[in-house]
Amino acid sequence: MTDKPAPTASVLPFPAAAPSNGLSAARAAAEPALSARNLWKVFGVEANAFAIEDGTAMPAAEMARRGWVAAIRDASIDVMPGEVFVIMGLSGSGKSTMIRCLTKLIEPTAGKVMFHGRDLIAMPEKELTEIRRTRMGMVFQNFALLPNRTVLGNIALPLEIQGIDRARREAKAMEMIELVGLKGRENRFPRELSGGQQQRVGIARSLAVDPEIWFLDEPFSALDPLIRSDLQDELQRLQKALAKTIVFITHDLDEAIKIADRIAIMEGGSVVQVATPEELVTRPANDYVARFVAKVPRAKVTRVRSLMAPATGSILSPDPVRAEATITEIGPILVSGTGPLPVVDEGGRMVGTLDRQAALAVLGGRAGAA
Amino acid sequence: MTGRPFWKTCMPKLLVSLAAATAISSAAQAFEPESNDPIIIGTFNWSSAMINSEIAGIILQKLGYTVEYLPMDDSARYPGFEAGDATFALETWATTQKINLETSVATGKVLDLGETGMQAKEEWWYPIYMKEACPGLPNWEALKDPKCGEAFAAPETAPKGRYLSGPVDWGGGDVERVAALGLPFEVVNAGTDAGMFAELQAAYERKAPIMMWVYAPHWAPAKFEGEWVDFPDYEDACYTDPAWGGNPDATHDCGKPEGWIKKMGWAEGEKKWPCAYEVVRNFKMDNATIQPLIGAVDLDGKTVTEVAQGWVDANEAVWKPWAACAGL
Amino acid sequence: MALAETGRMGGMGWRVAPTQMALMAAVLALAASPVLAGMLPAALVDYPKQAVIGLAAFTGSWLTWLAREAAIGPLRIAEITRGLANVVEAPIALLNTLFAEGIQAGRGDQVRTVVPPLSWLAGIGLAALLAHMVGGRQAGPKLVALIVVGLLYIVLFGFWTDAMFTLTNVIISAVAAIALGIWIGTKAVTHPRIAAPVEGLMNVMQTVPVFSYLVPTLLFLGYGPSAALVATVIYALPPMVHATMLGLRGVPPEVVEFGRMAGASPRALFWKIRLPVALPQLAIGINQTIMACLNMVVIASMIGAGGLGFLVLTALRKLDIGGALQAGIAIVVLAVILDRLSLAAARLAASGTRIRSTGIPHGRLALGWFALASIAALLLPAFQSWPKELTLTTAPFWNGLVSWINIHWFEPLDAFRSFTLIHIMNPVKAYLLDLPWTLVIALVMLGGWMAGGARLGLTVGAMALFIAATGFWDPAVTSVYLVGLGTLLSLIIGLPFGYVVSRRQSWRDAASLVLDTLQTLPTLVYLLPAVMVFRNGDFSALVAIVSYAIAPAVRYSMHAFAGVPAERLELAAMVGASRWQTFKWVRLPAAFPTLLLGLNQTIMLAIAMLVITALVGTRDLGQQVFIALSRAKPGDGIIAGLCVAAIALIADMCLKAWARRAAARNGVEA
Repeated sequence: MTDKPAPTASVLPFPAAAPSNGLSAARAAAEPALSARNLWKVFGVEANAFAIEDGTAMPAAEMARRGWVAAIRDASIDVMPGEVFVIMGLSGSGKSTMIRCLTKLIEPTAGKVMFHGRDLIAMPEKELTEIRRTRMGMVFQNFALLPNRTVLGNIALPLEIQGIDRARREAKAMEMIELVGLKGRENRFPRELSGGQQQRVGIARSLAVDPEIWFLDEPFSALDPLIRSDLQDELQRLQKALAKTIVFITHDLDEAIKIADRIAIMEGGSVVQVATPEELVTRPANDYVARFVAKVPRAKVTRVRSLMAPATGSILSPDPVRAEATITEIGPILVSGTGPLPVVDEGGRMVGTLDRQAALAVLGGRAGAA
Repeated sequence: MTGRPFWKTCMPKLLVSLAAATAISSAAQAFEPESNDPIIIGTFNWSSAMINSEIAGIILQKLGYTVEYLPMDDSARYPGFEAGDATFALETWATTQKINLETSVATGKVLDLGETGMQAKEEWWYPIYMKEACPGLPNWEALKDPKCGEAFAAPETAPKGRYLSGPVDWGGGDVERVAALGLPFEVVNAGTDAGMFAELQAAYERKAPIMMWVYAPHWAPAKFEGEWVDFPDYEDACYTDPAWGGNPDATHDCGKPEGWIKKMGWAEGEKKWPCAYEVVRNFKMDNATIQPLIGAVDLDGKTVTEVAQGWVDANEAVWKPWAACAGL
Repeated sequence: MALAETGRMGGMGWRVAPTQMALMAAVLALAASPVLAGMLPAALVDYPKQAVIGLAAFTGSWLTWLAREAAIGPLRIAEITRGLANVVEAPIALLNTLFAEGIQAGRGDQVRTVVPPLSWLAGIGLAALLAHMVGGRQAGPKLVALIVVGLLYIVLFGFWTDAMFTLTNVIISAVAAIALGIWIGTKAVTHPRIAAPVEGLMNVMQTVPVFSYLVPTLLFLGYGPSAALVATVIYALPPMVHATMLGLRGVPPEVVEFGRMAGASPRALFWKIRLPVALPQLAIGINQTIMACLNMVVIASMIGAGGLGFLVLTALRKLDIGGALQAGIAIVVLAVILDRLSLAAARLAASGTRIRSTGIPHGRLALGWFALASIAALLLPAFQSWPKELTLTTAPFWNGLVSWINIHWFEPLDAFRSFTLIHIMNPVKAYLLDLPWTLVIALVMLGGWMAGGARLGLTVGAMALFIAATGFWDPAVTSVYLVGLGTLLSLIIGLPFGYVVSRRQSWRDAASLVLDTLQTLPTLVYLLPAVMVFRNGDFSALVAIVSYAIAPAVRYSMHAFAGVPAERLELAAMVGASRWQTFKWVRLPAAFPTLLLGLNQTIMLAIAMLVITALVGTRDLGQQVFIALSRAKPGDGIIAGLCVAAIALIADMCLKAWARRAAARNGVEA
């Protein structure tokens, strides 16, 4: 809501469907779970004229003259099933409006939002409600807990709204409480919990309906750094078990890099680049992104897979490294021996070798572009 | 609440009692009321009205009528009577309600059921201990002495005397009276009846000077020893014709009028309960009778019901003739 | 801090200048008004009689026509409204049967009660069980104790039946006002276009004296419980509407978004999310509405509601002040019980969980107790209604106390009264009454303009003109004089008191209890003792106003000074500010916006007392309303009432605009 871009911001539109969007070949082949096409959200006096007059082609000066402000301009993204898709931007970049358009909490001014091939924007209210009830979950920055309900009452509420009977909804809610580690606190009220615990309730509540797609709107921004880190770990743990499609909003690049499969960088209402963390650091799309990622150590985003050479016979080493691990993660192994390291996939099969020197160079390198 | 078991436990008892009650009433009463609809008697918040209302109510009940009481506001009663929300009122004072009553009767929906026989007396009044301070009282001429005015003065009216008049809407013409008779007094209005007598009680306790408007029937003249000032007797001409009376140039050179206290009723109701209307028309009361009854309620702390029942029981000979239409 | 403050003031110096000039002009005009009055043409000094619009007479005859003749088709309007009134009366009659009257059979003097109403023994038990049920494990025991002690007071002092009559009326009117208030408030929030008119209407309803619309209500609804009910609802509705609007607007947008994302239907979104989350705010409205309903008990009893209010009136009529006090306290007891019970129930309903199990089967216990108590009451009538011979009374003590004060304290009190009256009140009144009406209207417009801009200036000017044009100028000025002095006095006493009390929680709690009692005890109960000592007239009126209006002055002062941000006080301590400097530069500016709201409420309550002041012999608008009532002139009553509302609205709008500015300047939420 408050994320209004500065009217003067001028950004290169970067079509999300462009070839370099960080998608692995396997994923690119699949149908996106959620995608936005040429999304616009324009605030201002009689902004609904925007669609009629096809404001997509309107020069910035003309929009300013009419008192229109584009919070989202021509944004397109694809979120693949099972991936953690992070939308990152500073305050005012439009990320908050973006997630609300993706869920139709705010009606976009123009463009489409496709959910498994159906346009959320055009579909009848009843269908949208059904999708929100059973297939979407959302976590909010300030938790959005109901102060009048206990932990149990809060978590059971989405099920209550679906009309599920008390016994079943409370049983399910108890399951969720256990999942987020709040067992024993189910009869507390939100005011009796710490911030971190409150957000655990928010997470449990959003998962109670077992959604396919999970929206997290700056879920950890209101928390202390230590708690934030704990919850990020918790999220990763949950995601490993649940494998949801996640749309995650943050203004914290470290957080984005830590949890993202892919990141969309937003600036001034536009999506500037969509890429994996590694690509973002190694191949920033423009100066803005480059300056943004300048302080990020390469080792933190570079994965073993992108440095490894194809397997050449067997290597005698007790320490295989995972192909998906970052160089930072394998740092202790790198400095504790010599010679190439075997690289294994998730199944433990050897898929290649890692040149220890090349990896150490990345680890030692300060940051930034290759 | 727990409706079901309530009825379950009580229903048999209810039926038995109902049967018993009907048996008693049919045995005891010769007169059949014209209608079993409740007759609603409007009551007001002063004691004589409540006592008279209950006396009438008890008599009507003896005849077999169903009677309910409805608390009303003295001046705001008329819409209720015109619409039949209330059936009878036992007291309507000429001194405050004359015009309202006449207006309401003119609509044709309200009946003037005649005077009760009680007289509303209203006049300047002082406690007996003030007699020494102003020799010559109760003759009004004594008040003309400036010393007398000073005796009744309050700081903000000194050297003139302070006269506590009723609420502004009671009228009373006291400002004109003071001017016409040349009295060294300033008129101060009370807001309400209760406010007036609160001041009287306070002054009486301290034996402090007070000159005020007191009316009867009321408990105050019974509780506090005092006298009414003796002004030239009221005549209609006194209020309209300057030439009348001691001051040839001014009206109001006389005392206040005394007034009737009437009964009133809802016009439509007479078709429903003709005999009840007959009884209320015949209802008579006088100051001498009501005054001790008021005292019993206001000063001795008896309930209105006790006092009214007591009077009805003791005065069968008085009220039986009122109910001639019921064949008693 | 001080530097920053001055700097900011200096920064906006160019905006202050014209305001200051206007202010100086106003002061000059006020000082020179006697001279000015001599120079102006007479028509500009006293509003010319010929120019008075006959709005009152017109309204009166129109209302009479509407009530007596007007018809829609074959049905007269009054028949329709009376039909509705009968519908409304059904639930009252039902509750009265259950609680107060029972079922009677037979006729004439053979009427017998065949099914008794709820006995006090059963009533206390059931109320206690209810309290225990809604109070839960934590609040339950305390609530039960409160209810048992309170209801025992009512029983032992012989008020049970009357209290039940009052209770049924209050329950129905409070439920109606709360439901209607929530509905209207919700509509106003969801349809922004009607929000402003609704708020305006509520302000008018809150400030027009009840006696203004009593006669019209009777015309349309007839005498009886429904008229009392409607009058009560009109009076008690505004706080509920305001609280609902405030509460719903305060629901965090994220919470609403959560509800939408959970797929809540609009209905579920309202009932399960917005309303419960707004509950703390609604609770304030519920509290105020219940208090307002109980405030009306005495007035409602004048038009057929009976009950405790009628006891208060008859006791006062015979100057049994102790008796009136006892019945008044029974009203306060009902107020406190209803307030605490309804809050506990609302909290429970909003929590979305089952009644937390206390291991007690409330339903079965209630049945058992009811059966047992009812049988006991049948066997021993003392359990049905407390025997009159055993009734307690403290009335002689209170009457004696009043007499004692009257006899022993009269001299100093009377000297004080005379001094104030002769040297302060009378001169102020004379001065105000002599002010040219044109000058006053000009000043009102100036005040509005300074507080909130040109539009506000014109609005309040128009309202002042309405008072002049309808011919109520002098009574209105008298009202302003009483309200003004009353407000001033309330502030002089209330603000410092609130400041001192604000420092300790225990002092604050004690003060709150006293203020609650001041606000619910029927005013007349303490007004008459005041009249005994201070006599009829303006001084007693002032005492009445101050005793009622001091409550918000103290309350807001406590609240304002307790809410000064701690870091600002720490800053003051760090820079070594003296106690006075801290007060002047830190506490006062931070508390100022809240204090302004307190001033607003103080004025509103002072105005609400105008109608009561008429009872002790003032010649203000309240008296005009009473005269209209006693002469059955509904038009005059309504117009005089609207003039009261106009004064209230002028003060309210200007002060709120001013408070908004002050809050924006100080960065404190008002």
